Amino acid sequence: MSRSRPGAVRARIESLLRRFAGISGIDRVLIAFAALGLSVLVGFFIVLGSGRVAECSTAAWTMPITGLGFCYDPFEVFFVLFNGALGGPFYVWEPGILNPEWLPITLPWLGFMPGWSPFNNAFALTMSETTLLVFTGLSVAVAFRAGLFNIGTQGQLVVGALLTALVVVALAPLFPANRVGGVILIAIGVLAGAVGGGLWGAIPGALKAYADANEVITTIMLNFIAANVAYVLVLEVFRAEGSSVVATADVPEYAQIGPWLFPPTGDFAEAALLIGLVSLVGLYLFLEHTSLGYDLRVSGIQPLAAEYSGVNAKLTTVRAMTLSGALGGIGGSIWVLMSEGRWVESIPDLGFDGITVSILAGNNPLGVLPAAALFGVLKGGALQVGFQTDVPPELVGVLRGLIILFVAMPEFFRLIGKRLVPDEPEATRGGDGKDGDGVGGTAAVDDGGEASA
Amino acid sequence: MNPAVHLDGITKRFPGVVANDDVDLAVERGSVHALLGENGAGKTTLMNVLYGLYRPTEGRVVIDGEPRSFDSPRDAINAGVGMIHQHFMLVEPMRIWENVVLGNEPTEWYGLRVDEDAAREAVRELSARYGFDVDPDARVEDVSVGVQQRVEILKALYRGADILILDEPTAVLTPQEVEDLYDVFEELTDQGKTIIFISHKLSEATHAADEITVLRNGKNVGTVDTDDVTSEQLAEMMVGREVLMERSAATEPPGDVVLDVEGLVAEDDRGVEVVSGVSAQVREGEVFGIAGVDGNGQSQLIESITGLRTPTAGTVSFHGEDLDDVSRRERIDRGMAYIPEDRQARGLVMEYDLTQNAVLGSQHDDEFTDGPRLDWDRAASHAESVIKQYDVRPPDRDATAESFSGGNQQKFIVGREFERDPDLVVATHPTRGVDIGSTEFIHDRLTELRSEGKAVLLVSSKLDEVQALSDRLAVMHDGEFTGVVDPTTVTEEQLGLLMAGETLDDDTVDHVGVGDDGRPTETAADEEVSA
Repeated sequence: MSRSRPGAVRARIESLLRRFAGISGIDRVLIAFAALGLSVLVGFFIVLGSGRVAECSTAAWTMPITGLGFCYDPFEVFFVLFNGALGGPFYVWEPGILNPEWLPITLPWLGFMPGWSPFNNAFALTMSETTLLVFTGLSVAVAFRAGLFNIGTQGQLVVGALLTALVVVALAPLFPANRVGGVILIAIGVLAGAVGGGLWGAIPGALKAYADANEVITTIMLNFIAANVAYVLVLEVFRAEGSSVVATADVPEYAQIGPWLFPPTGDFAEAALLIGLVSLVGLYLFLEHTSLGYDLRVSGIQPLAAEYSGVNAKLTTVRAMTLSGALGGIGGSIWVLMSEGRWVESIPDLGFDGITVSILAGNNPLGVLPAAALFGVLKGGALQVGFQTDVPPELVGVLRGLIILFVAMPEFFRLIGKRLVPDEPEATRGGDGKDGDGVGGTAAVDDGGEASA
Repeated sequence: MNPAVHLDGITKRFPGVVANDDVDLAVERGSVHALLGENGAGKTTLMNVLYGLYRPTEGRVVIDGEPRSFDSPRDAINAGVGMIHQHFMLVEPMRIWENVVLGNEPTEWYGLRVDEDAAREAVRELSARYGFDVDPDARVEDVSVGVQQRVEILKALYRGADILILDEPTAVLTPQEVEDLYDVFEELTDQGKTIIFISHKLSEATHAADEITVLRNGKNVGTVDTDDVTSEQLAEMMVGREVLMERSAATEPPGDVVLDVEGLVAEDDRGVEVVSGVSAQVREGEVFGIAGVDGNGQSQLIESITGLRTPTAGTVSFHGEDLDDVSRRERIDRGMAYIPEDRQARGLVMEYDLTQNAVLGSQHDDEFTDGPRLDWDRAASHAESVIKQYDVRPPDRDATAESFSGGNQQKFIVGREFERDPDLVVATHPTRGVDIGSTEFIHDRLTELRSEGKAVLLVSSKLDEVQALSDRLAVMHDGEFTGVVDPTTVTEEQLGLLMAGETLDDDTVDHVGVGDDGRPTETAADEEVSA
């Protein structure tokens, strides 16, 4: 009986690994979880190590058997990181439910927090970050799919945000101060953000298409220009009277996107996430099910084939950058209308995080949601770790970085999967006989033989 | 005495492709050997085997009578084999002497410092010994391409190479630099070095080499002494005769002019004029063939017609309308089908499945769209029908293009383009890499298209193919048509002469009543009607 078990486990692990070795969607998710697990494991030891170096009066965690004391409890850190991001649905029962004499380690048990509601401030922060990153992630993704590196989503977001704030404040007197007027103003505001971001994105697109300017450089530079021009404009012209910071006047309360279920203090609105999801599905449909989307994808993946099929490369470049900028601009609108209620100089780096989100998502719009959610959880959770534990924020930053680092290297896990599992389809496919293919194929087979021997 | 290089029965297989098939090659010490063949004939693969980049599937490499097994170019270099690639591998901002010694620097201070004086002197000495006019202190980016090539040769010599392989050495050179290169060859062989160079140009091989080996489809067609062979014979060896085909004459007289090219001049990507004033007309119900050795301007001519390249002079008209400002997409929409030369870069999106590839070029066509929406169901059934009709194997429209063999990729492209219901079919090498059965099928379809009244412009380096299918046949050499002939009466020898760049006297061949500009005269069209 006990003999058959290792074999069964082995088969299951092998089938799991075989899926890592593939390329399509499901294994991407599996890889993400494997990466998450490994990063938690590595992070565990980093927390332990720094907890050993740090000084504290009482040990937060004592290692079983050895009796070594550590200033930070790694279990607690990761528990609070993920649990805190949701606003604490679980709590840890006191250890000791199981008799310590039975087991070397007293296992903690999770209990469901009575009275926990998902509509709490901590979860709202997670969701708000997720929502904003959906827009910037989509912005970067659409450019990537067209073979363009849009590093300028941040600038497009700044411009979109400023235009939204100015337009809504300026037009507010024209509409009734009620729900209906608010919805109209929000629509106009989002449109203004899209136009502003779109035009700001069209500039590097046009420069690339017609002046052969590298879009990486132009978009980076336009980030600085956007941030500083917006700052000076608000400082000199649009600054709200009596404001201590450089900010525009507040958007009227009824023209802000407010929550339905979440507390108003959480700066998160379900409607904004809904707009994000509509954009996400819309972009997916655009890329996969329209002629223009096809043009854009082929341009990105094989420019010569695009040219052959009659795609106007210059126009497609401008189009993709405009669309990318518009999505970044809408991100700015949502930031103004949902989070801040006005344009403020201290704009978070949503555009830059969007680059990582997009790459994590494999530049696939559908992948942007989980990638943005991971960022949202890490952002919301990190704040809670700061509140609830003595762990310094720098260490939490290291853990966040570690998680993203591991998730962002799927090839590493694919490689492990390939080494451990014989990989039949790849070897026969080989393709057209490029040198690397043949060598890689045989290597995979060789290793597979060893593994099964 | 043993030959310097002896390749013994080299076979190199890649998945689905045999790049070299049992090739024997012997090169004498101190001689210049040309490896001649069309693109894709397996020349570079064979040399990569000799240089240790590939391991042969079968066969062995013998250097100076000693069997060798190279795991990497480093082994080859240690055995005295050096290779100069088509694209130079030089660090442009660095000085020439730095490039030459890079990786093998003479050092001082127990290896902590490059001994610059020794290195400079070594390069100067080498350069003087072989009569290279090279300044070791010049920066690579400041010197001409010809000198850069010498730096590459110096690099190989510095590492002790006795056998030099040059991959298409003249491709990047000006005519004067080519002459200088031949002088360098002479100097090197006088001092006992052995040279193997790859080329697809006849004139170079006959000019510079002592012996020539012709490769075709990965096989050694023959090794000949340069003095014993004519250009025409070589041309024939290169293009070969694989499929014996029945000529099928047009039954209907050709109709209106569909494509009219006049005085077309075009440049290649480096800005060198490679099409110098070509004129041609293609009519409804006619196959106009263009023969010639690859690389004589056919690609650029075709790209100028299909809208992938902007000609520098001349006009292209389609149904009587000037196409000067007409985009590639508009040309497709007006009924121009195009089987491109490079199927993997242009004809297919390699990572996409066949369904997605089925709409490449017609992604905005009403046939597959409802407004902005692309209808993948219709695309899938179209892919299905192309796969079925053109026998694409395996018949799986969800498989990515890159997973198919070259021949099946080609069949899919041919099918997609033929089924476009075009007025003009521009087919470049439509049967390259395709098996014999499918080749015949593609030929039949081309003939059918002609009977349906389509105009066909056919470019192929296979002589028998163009000869059997064409109603009129132009031969292209060095950017010009050396002649437009009647494929039924022209002889192989005459074609060989034309392909080698010579013109025929008017009385030796039955020209299809071609005027000086390469257009058929009225009488010519009439003649063909009665033929």
